[in-house]
Amino acid sequence: MTSKLKLLVATSVIPLAVLGANPAYAEGTTAGTDIQNDVTVSYSVGGVAQTDETASDTFKVDRKINLTVAETDGITTDVAPGETGAVTTFTVTNTSNEVLDFNVSASQLAGGTAEHGGTDNFDITGLQVFVDSNGNGVYDPGTDTATFIDELAEDASIAVFVVGDIPGAQVTDDVAGVVLTATAREGGTAGGAVGAALTESAGANTTGVETVFADGAGETDGARDAAFSAGDDYTVAAADLAVVKFSTVISDPINGTTNPKAIPGAVIEYCIAVTNAPGSATATGISISDTLPANITYDAGFGVTTNGTYDNVAGTCSAGAGTGTFSGGVVSGTLNDIAGGGNSALVFRATVD
Amino acid sequence: MKRLILTLAALLCAPYTAIAAERVELSSDVYVEKISHDANGRKSVVLEKPLKVIPGDRLVFILKYRNVGDQAAENFVVTNPMPSAVAFQETIDGTELVSIDGGESWGRLKDLRVRMGGGYRNAVPEDVTHIRWNIINGISVGSQGKLTFRGVVR
Repeated sequence: MTSKLKLLVATSVIPLAVLGANPAYAEGTTAGTDIQNDVTVSYSVGGVAQTDETASDTFKVDRKINLTVAETDGITTDVAPGETGAVTTFTVTNTSNEVLDFNVSASQLAGGTAEHGGTDNFDITGLQVFVDSNGNGVYDPGTDTATFIDELAEDASIAVFVVGDIPGAQVTDDVAGVVLTATAREGGTAGGAVGAALTESAGANTTGVETVFADGAGETDGARDAAFSAGDDYTVAAADLAVVKFSTVISDPINGTTNPKAIPGAVIEYCIAVTNAPGSATATGISISDTLPANITYDAGFGVTTNGTYDNVAGTCSAGAGTGTFSGGVVSGTLNDIAGGGNSALVFRATVD
Repeated sequence: MKRLILTLAALLCAPYTAIAAERVELSSDVYVEKISHDANGRKSVVLEKPLKVIPGDRLVFILKYRNVGDQAAENFVVTNPMPSAVAFQETIDGTELVSIDGGESWGRLKDLRVRMGGGYRNAVPEDVTHIRWNIINGISVGSQGKLTFRGVVR
């Protein structure tokens, strides 16, 4: 390395503070900023330094309107039939060089392919759109009540929630596609109503600040229209439960437990097994009640067990650790949640009269 | 080179002893470079006045100088700080010196380093804070010149 280079390297590392002082324009120089270029010439005449000559040129940066809308999680929102307040989340980003308001609205697909590949075949009811007022990225009913985005800074993003109810008649794999459209509006005033609509500057250029729409085409909107849209969808995942009930003779007074027969005095074990089909939504709040038939007597010593296991190949049950109740000739119990592909069983015993 | 820097330093430090009438005319102009393609795919580049300018637009700065005095101008140095909202790209002639530290030190862009983490990286055009041309031969009476550089609106 030459001495000159060493000098340059040595001196060129000092100034990062200076560089850091330059504003970072991630989404561009703010509209209305003057860009002034100054140039200076120093020179000598006849060996005598002369006064520097300077010249400058100034122009204004115009307003570039741009925005993006993106579905936040990249997957469909799983919902259950009859679910209320089902939420899909979008992110709206202001990529303009000015603070702006944004209108947000949701629409529903009418058939066709939804965002994540399913075919839209039903509509959400009570569709609403809310802005993430407290900025936590999660829909908080009663808190996130704003219906437009107020004063979104340059380069800033905010979550927008589409909220709706799932009709109770829907079945597993039904899909409802929704599209969120955000439209840039004039900013500048916090609070109050959404700002006025934007218009792109037409006609001859002026030296003032003009407005240029620079957004791309979204899901349902065109390019350069100050709007952007993105899709998401809801997929119904219902539980698909099946119940079997069977009985096994455990013992009789003559044969004991060796090949027992259902003679008076024999102990019968009843199993009520619940299975949830593979791929189904988790079933919750499962309760079972069973009226004891005539001519048998409930075995209070064994009791009622819940959350047992069921082997559907062997057709056998094993008693679980939970307990149910027997009252007024009716056996009842509550099972834990059953995930898709899982099962659970309620087991009790009775004696033949 | 080293001698030149020293000369410049001496020059800058020297008190101005003679305030003469204007001997050098200087102007700075900026244009927006609009690139368009016609139906046949032919590319055309048009320089427009900077009336409609948005971030990302390419700018062309043209500095013109002319010796309007009656003596040759020597030690002719043209210095142009980059406006903070403009990222430097390139000059047309490639003979410039640049500074990446607000005009403290100068060099060819390829020789400059920026401290980064525990080491250094090569300086890139966006780091440039000042551009300077040293017109070593000076400019004779009546002669003129043009210096051009490109930048992008941040």
